[in-house]
Amino acid sequence: MITELGHFALITAFVLSLVQGFLPLIGAARGNAAMMLIAPAAAISVMLAVAFSFGALVWGFITSDFSLALVANHSHSTKPMIYKISGTWGNHEGSLLLWILILAIYGGALALGGRAMPMALKARILAVQGLVSTGFLAFSLFTSNPFLRLGTAPLDGKGLNPILQDPGLAIHPPMLYLGYVGLSMAFAFAVAALISGEVDRLWAKWMRPWIMAAWCALTCGIALGSWWAYYELGWGGWWFWDPVENASLMPWLAATALLHSAIVVEKRGQLKSWTVLLAIMAFSLSLVGTFIVRSGLLTSVHSFASDPARGVFVLVILLFAVGIPLALYAWRGPQLVTTADFSLTSREGGLIANNMLLVVATAIVLLGTFYPLGLEMVTGARITVGPPYFDATFNPVMALLMMIMAIGPVMAWRHGKTARLRVVLITAAVGAGITAGLTSAFAVGFSIGALVALGLIGWLGAGIGADIWQQLKPHGGAGIARRARRVPTEVIGMWLAHFGIVIFMLGAVGDNLYNSEQVVRAKPGDVIQIADRNVTFTGVKQVQGPNYQALAAQLEYRDQSGKLFALLTPEKRIYNAERQTTTEAAIRPTLRGDDYAVLGDGDNKIGFTLRLYYKPLVSWIWGGAVIMALGGLLAAFGRQRTAANQTSPVTNSTTAMPASGRGA
Amino acid sequence: MMSQLRLSFLLPLLAFTALASVGAVALYATLSGSRDPAQLPSVLVNKSAPRTSLANLMPNDAGDNMVQLTAFKGQPLLVNFFASWCAPCRAEAPALEMLSKRVAILGIAYKDRGEDTNSFLEQYGNPFRAVGMDTDGRMGIEWGVYGVPETYLLDANGVVKLRHAGPLTRGVIDATIIPALEALGS
Repeated sequence: MITELGHFALITAFVLSLVQGFLPLIGAARGNAAMMLIAPAAAISVMLAVAFSFGALVWGFITSDFSLALVANHSHSTKPMIYKISGTWGNHEGSLLLWILILAIYGGALALGGRAMPMALKARILAVQGLVSTGFLAFSLFTSNPFLRLGTAPLDGKGLNPILQDPGLAIHPPMLYLGYVGLSMAFAFAVAALISGEVDRLWAKWMRPWIMAAWCALTCGIALGSWWAYYELGWGGWWFWDPVENASLMPWLAATALLHSAIVVEKRGQLKSWTVLLAIMAFSLSLVGTFIVRSGLLTSVHSFASDPARGVFVLVILLFAVGIPLALYAWRGPQLVTTADFSLTSREGGLIANNMLLVVATAIVLLGTFYPLGLEMVTGARITVGPPYFDATFNPVMALLMMIMAIGPVMAWRHGKTARLRVVLITAAVGAGITAGLTSAFAVGFSIGALVALGLIGWLGAGIGADIWQQLKPHGGAGIARRARRVPTEVIGMWLAHFGIVIFMLGAVGDNLYNSEQVVRAKPGDVIQIADRNVTFTGVKQVQGPNYQALAAQLEYRDQSGKLFALLTPEKRIYNAERQTTTEAAIRPTLRGDDYAVLGDGDNKIGFTLRLYYKPLVSWIWGGAVIMALGGLLAAFGRQRTAANQTSPVTNSTTAMPASGRGA
Repeated sequence: MMSQLRLSFLLPLLAFTALASVGAVALYATLSGSRDPAQLPSVLVNKSAPRTSLANLMPNDAGDNMVQLTAFKGQPLLVNFFASWCAPCRAEAPALEMLSKRVAILGIAYKDRGEDTNSFLEQYGNPFRAVGMDTDGRMGIEWGVYGVPETYLLDANGVVKLRHAGPLTRGVIDATIIPALEALGS
C-alpha cells in the first residue's frame, strides 16, 4: 500500500513540477504576481511529494518487500540494515529518485528562503528548477519506475553487488548528488538571467552561496569516491582517470571556475556573460557526469547500472537542458557584455587566468573521456585514454594554476601592483627554492616532475603564509587579534581552501615518491620487511560475516625495536547470496602514512600471495579535500564584510572596492 | 532590446551540438546493435608479427628474463595488449580466461608498471602464458596498437591472421575469434 502511495506521490510531483515550470514563467513575463507566487508553493509541494515517495521506497527496502521488483533485484533479507537502506540508491531507479529528491530539496530551500530576492527573479529560478525536475520525474516514471511490482514475489532478494556493501559507498552517492544537483541552482540562476536579460551584482551575491554549497558537497563527494576506491578496490591507488571519476571531476573544475568568476561579477560587475556560460556548463557537465555513465556509452570500473535504452531519454533531456540555455545564451549573451575596466595584472586578471586554466583543464578531461567515443564513431577503433595522457596534459595546467593561486588573491582589483604582492612573490619564490633545493640536495633519483611538484608546494604554502602574515601583523596600532577579527570570513575561507590544496599535494606527492610495496608469496611464520617495519604472517583464519564468509590473514606489524604496534587482517570475502568474491584491504591509517595490506590467492601449502604497502602521507589527500570543503563552507556562509557596500545593485560600478576589499 | 547574434556567443551552442551528435550517433549504433567493435584494417594482417622481445613480468615462471615471441611458434597464439589502468581490459578479463583454455595467450602490458600489472592479474585473473612488459609503449608502436585492449591472432608460423581492437566480448569471440581459430585447425 505504501508503495502505491509512493508511486502516486511521484506522479503528483510530476504534475506539480509541470505547474512549477510553466506558470511562473508566464507570470514573470506578464508581471502577474499571483502566477509568480505559484512558484514557491509548487516547489515546496514538489519537495514534500518527492520526499514521501522516496520514503516509501526506503520503507520497501527496510522491510525487504520482495514484491517490489527493485527490492527483489537489489536487496537481500540477510543484509545489514545500513546496506538495506543504502541499497535504495545502489541501483539506477533508486539513485535517480535520490537525485530528484535532492533537486526538489534545493528548490524547496530556495522557495522557503531567498526572501530578499525580487519576485520575478525568484519565480524564474524556481520555474527553471521545475522544468529540470519535470524532465527527470518523467525519466523516472516512464523509463525507470522504482515502484514496479512483481507478479509473484520471490522468497529472497538477489542481493546487492558486494563491492557496494560498504559504509563509504552508503554516503558517497548522496554527497556527490548534493554537489551535482546543487549546481542546478547556479544553472537556474543563469537561465533566469538569460530569460530576463539582466545580470547585476546582487544576482551574483545571491547565487554564490548555492555555488559554494554545491562545490563543497562535490569536493567531499569526489574525495569519498576516491577514498572508497583506495580501500575497497584493493589497488592502493586513489585516482584512476576512469570515465566515472572524470565525470565527477569535470563539473568540479567548472564549478571551481564558476565560484571564482562569480566573485568578479559580485564585486566588480564584470565577466557577466562568462559567468552565466560557466554556470550552464557546470550543471551540464554534472548531468553528463550522472547520466552518461549509465547509458552504456562509456566503460568504467565504477558503473554498476548501465542500460543503453535509457540513454535515449538521457540524451533527450540533455538536448533540452543544455541546448535551450545555450541557444538563449547565443541570443541574450551579447547583452551582458561589459567593457573591461581593469588591467591584466589585477585581481580580475588573476581570476580570469584561474578561469582560463580551469576551463582548459576541464576541456582536457572532457577530451580524454570522450575522445575514445568520438574515435570509435569515426574509425571504429575502441581505445582507452589513461594516466599517460592525463599526466602529460592535466598536471602542467594544474601546476600553472597553483602558481597563480599564491599571487592572485594578493593583487588589488583593477590595478594590481601592491607592496603586498611583492612580499608574497618573494616569499613564495624563496619557499619554492627551499623545498626544491632541499629535495634535490638530499634525495637522489627524483624526476623533474617531482621537483616541480615539491617546489609548487613550497611556493603556494609560503605564498599563503606571507599573505596571512601581512593581513595579521600588527599595523597602525592594531594588534594581531584585532586585525584577525577584521579579516572577513570569506578571506579566511579562501586561505583554508587554498591551504587544503597544499595539504592535498603533500599527500599526493608523498604517496607517489615514497610509497613502498612488497608482493610476496608467504607461508605462515614468514616475516616480510617493508619500509622500516617487520611484518609477521601468522596464518589465515576463517571468519563468518553476516552475509559472507571470509578468509582473514593475520599480519603482525612490528617496528625496528621489535615492538608489536598493529595487527592487520586483510580479508578475502565470499558473499553467499551473490556468489561473488571481494578483497578487503586492511588499512592502518595514520597521519605519517598508511599501512595497507591485501590478501591474494593461495593456500597453506604453497603459501598466500600478500600485497603490502606503506604509503606515506596518503591520508593527507583526503584531509586536504576536507580542508578545501571547510574553507568553502566558511566562505559561503561566514559573515559578510561591509555589507552596505555589497548590497547596492550597481551594475557597472565606478566605486570599486578599496584595495583591501578581498573576496574568497 | 534585441541585439544581433555574435559568433562568439554561438560557439558554445555549436560545440554542444557537435558533441551531442556524436553521442546520438554512438547511442543509435549501440541500440541498433551495429556498434560492435569493428575489425580494423591492420597492415600486419597476413604478414609476420614484428620481432618481439620484452622484459618478463614473472621471470621465475619462464626461467628467463625475456619473453620472446618466437618461443611460441608451432601453435596458434593470441597476443593481447592490455594495461592495469585500462577499464575495458578489466571487462574483458573473463573472456580471456575462457579463451585461455583453448589457445595460448601472450599478454603484453602496455605502458604499465610491473607492480600495477601484478595487482591487476591478481585481481582479475591471469589468463596469460607469459606477460611481457612494454613499459615505454615501443612494442605497441611496432604492432600498430591503437589503444588497449587490443588482440592479435597469430598462426603457428607467427603470421598475423586477425586483429581486434577493443575488449573481447562473448559476441566477438563467437563471431570472429573462434571461427578464425577453427580455420587454423585449433
